[in-house]
Amino acid sequence: MIYAAVGVLVLTVVQGFDDTERLTAVTSSQAMLRWAVPIMLAGLGGLFSERAGVVNIGLEGMLILGTWFGAWGAINYGGWAGLLIGMLGGGLGGLIHAVATVSFGVDHIISGVAINVTAPGVTRFLSSEILTNYDGGSITQSPRTPGVGRFTFPFLAGGDLFGWTTPDILGWFTDKDWFFVSDFTGLARGLVSQLSLATMIAFALVPASAWLIWRTRFGLRLRICGEHPVGGETQGINIYLYKYLGVVISGALAGLGGAFIASPELSGIYLEGQTNGRGFIGLAALIFGNWRPGGIMAGALLFGYPFGVGLRDLDGSASHALLLVNTIALAAVLAWALYRRRRIDAGLAAGLGLGAAVWYFMSTTVPDWWISILPFVIVLVVLVFFSQRLRMPRADGLPYRKGEA
Amino acid sequence: MLAIELTGITKRFPGVVANDDINLEVAEGEIHAICGENGAGKSTLMKILYGMQPPDSGTIRIQGEEVELHSPAQAIELGIGMVHQHFMLADQFTVLENVILGAEPMRSLGRIDFDAGREHLDEVGRAYGLDINADDLVESLEVGERQRVEIIKVLYRGAEILILDEPTAVLVPQEVDELFRNIRELKASGATILFIDHKLDEVLEIADTITVLRQGRTVGTVKPDQVTAHDLAEMMIGSELPVPDAGESTVTEEVALELSGLRVAAEGDRAVVDDVSLSVHRGEIVGIAGVEGNGQAELVNAIIGIQDPDQGTITLLGRDITHVSVRHRREMGLGYVPQDRHRDGLLLGFTLWENAALGHQTEAPYSRGPWLSRPGMRGRANRIKDEFDVRTPNIEVSAHALSGGNQQKLILGREMVAGPAVLIANHPTRGIDVGAQAAVWDDIREARSRGLATLLVSADLDELIGLSDTIVVMLRGRLVARLDPNDITPRDLGAYMTGAALEAGAP
Repeated sequence: MIYAAVGVLVLTVVQGFDDTERLTAVTSSQAMLRWAVPIMLAGLGGLFSERAGVVNIGLEGMLILGTWFGAWGAINYGGWAGLLIGMLGGGLGGLIHAVATVSFGVDHIISGVAINVTAPGVTRFLSSEILTNYDGGSITQSPRTPGVGRFTFPFLAGGDLFGWTTPDILGWFTDKDWFFVSDFTGLARGLVSQLSLATMIAFALVPASAWLIWRTRFGLRLRICGEHPVGGETQGINIYLYKYLGVVISGALAGLGGAFIASPELSGIYLEGQTNGRGFIGLAALIFGNWRPGGIMAGALLFGYPFGVGLRDLDGSASHALLLVNTIALAAVLAWALYRRRRIDAGLAAGLGLGAAVWYFMSTTVPDWWISILPFVIVLVVLVFFSQRLRMPRADGLPYRKGEA
Repeated sequence: MLAIELTGITKRFPGVVANDDINLEVAEGEIHAICGENGAGKSTLMKILYGMQPPDSGTIRIQGEEVELHSPAQAIELGIGMVHQHFMLADQFTVLENVILGAEPMRSLGRIDFDAGREHLDEVGRAYGLDINADDLVESLEVGERQRVEIIKVLYRGAEILILDEPTAVLVPQEVDELFRNIRELKASGATILFIDHKLDEVLEIADTITVLRQGRTVGTVKPDQVTAHDLAEMMIGSELPVPDAGESTVTEEVALELSGLRVAAEGDRAVVDDVSLSVHRGEIVGIAGVEGNGQAELVNAIIGIQDPDQGTITLLGRDITHVSVRHRREMGLGYVPQDRHRDGLLLGFTLWENAALGHQTEAPYSRGPWLSRPGMRGRANRIKDEFDVRTPNIEVSAHALSGGNQQKLILGREMVAGPAVLIANHPTRGIDVGAQAAVWDDIREARSRGLATLLVSADLDELIGLSDTIVVMLRGRLVARLDPNDITPRDLGAYMTGAALEAGAP
């Protein structure tokens, strides 16, 4: 919460410098949320797989399967069915990954890449067989998909409560146009009004995953697969079973993320190539979050934000302002690196920060291509600095064979 | 009543018969020791009994019932528990999580009842005098404590037959006493204990019955009061056990390797090697004793150059090499026998002659200019094979075709033919058979007499005392004692290693 407040403060100050209001606009925080959901679901998917010791680089492919199956399900059976069928589609991808890595001992990276390469082919084939028969469908896209309901929190954002329209508290603050306070409430209001039920479910999955992994028997047994599978075997655990479950759940969550992308929350359509590498960014969120659900959520929001800002940033002014935000963030990293006497980190932060600052002050806007690559640049830079003190599950990615201890 | 009866157990692996028609009878409530050299088939037999590997033929009877074991889960159900030679604990789990795994007390909704588990764990701990804090992370525990967790793990599920696979291998003598006290308590409460070991004095001290295995066969079953250590040794290897013996001192005045004020920090700036100063002379073997994890690994890493020290200097033959690359250090005459020969010593899928060049690939005769020289590599490999008695059909086979002992001889030979001035030998005889052990000792001694300076890190106290000219003890990153191997026993050395002797104010 404190970090979030500091972040908003920085954004507000920067916004004051630069002529844009998009950094703390309600539309920006809502867009951030919508963009964060698939990243977060892919990240949670990665969590279940890697806690079971299977590296899942195939999340992107499972996300793609989720978009197609999600759209197909939604068009034929409605919004909710779309999410469910998207999960099944992604889960199928997970099952293939599990068969390859767990039963046949295929290298996890190779199997994952194979899934990433195969999934678009499969969906294109399915499109040519099925979508082309639909009105408005073609080999690369589907007709419009229906979504699921929305919800506005009562009191916080003036939602209805048993037919009574509650006061809109955050909205009231936002309208006052007070420095920082209004910016903060503006962002916060975006997070609690007109919220898709699918988004709410996605965020509810964060504590649910934490509970499942750390409080239940299933979770304990799943984690031993990622930490010390032979140890689990000697205590009578069926390691293969739990690895399978972890990887299939992983695919199902990524599939849900894909279905979300194809739902009206983001596109309202299945479109070839629409996942746009978000499976990989989900993997980045997983690493940033140190293989923990809360951290994955933070990472997904962090990575989702520049996407959300860039989405409507037609003139490049908001992305331009983000350069200054990056400069400030890198200055903070520099201070931390100097304090910890990490010379390489400090040098890197100083160089990148200086570059961003020079660019910021030498220009008033940024080119189109920068708007579209900025989120990926941020992912890279963040991982460079944060991935040094992380601890992945010890047996993650290692082959395991029963009875070979 | 027999707790365990094994008849005609045979188990083959590609190219080896690990167990060849083994018969074993263990009476209920006894401590039954199984002795044999490394590779005699003890561990395989125990894995068969624990359901981890199926036997090719033979029958298993538990409490008189014939059973077929396919998984440890079945063995656990039959009341068999096993404490493995390598700990089967997840470092990032708490003691409680490690113990309850597979036998979790449950609440509704699939939740684990951690409170009930903690209670039962404490109960078991109290009943057998095994003191442990259920909520500690295993990562933070010392070796002896980890072993206690392993034993509690087995008792927690109510095992009546306990298999302990070389439980004393990782312990210092004081911890062994503690372990034996626990084992006797277990026996008193009615448990049957199968105990694997190859340290004969220990076996004679604890066992009620001893079965000796040799090359996968049962040699015989004896009572400890009817045999001596000498008899057991003969049964195990067919001849007497070799003893490491330093012979005449060849220590010179000339310093080959000098460390001064060396400090290596781990994460969070904690010193894992703290102000270590040490010199190794030509013709001298300096032994480093210490419980594992007290900074020996980091010290060795700093000397060979794969970990940067924060402070202090390393001098090799009078030249400062503190920040010199690993390759240059090796070219300047630093030899290295790593602790884990599979991970750091060899490329198992490569041929012997390729392995023979590793780490020296930039030097003649292994290379000429920028090109590797195959004839040079093969020639050297053949020389190593002959001089160091590496038993292999030829040098074209891949390294994993060799037994552990022969792999070790290959590594030692590779380092020795390069003519190093200083050799860092990190656990050079760990996990190899007695014959190869003696050969490694001979090679190191012979090189010493030619002026080699050796830094020997070992967990085998007999080896340290027998081979070293000087022993230093490492505790929590510091050198805490400097001892003369001529007037110290393994027991005294153990006391220094745990810090007990220092607290007691001994010299």
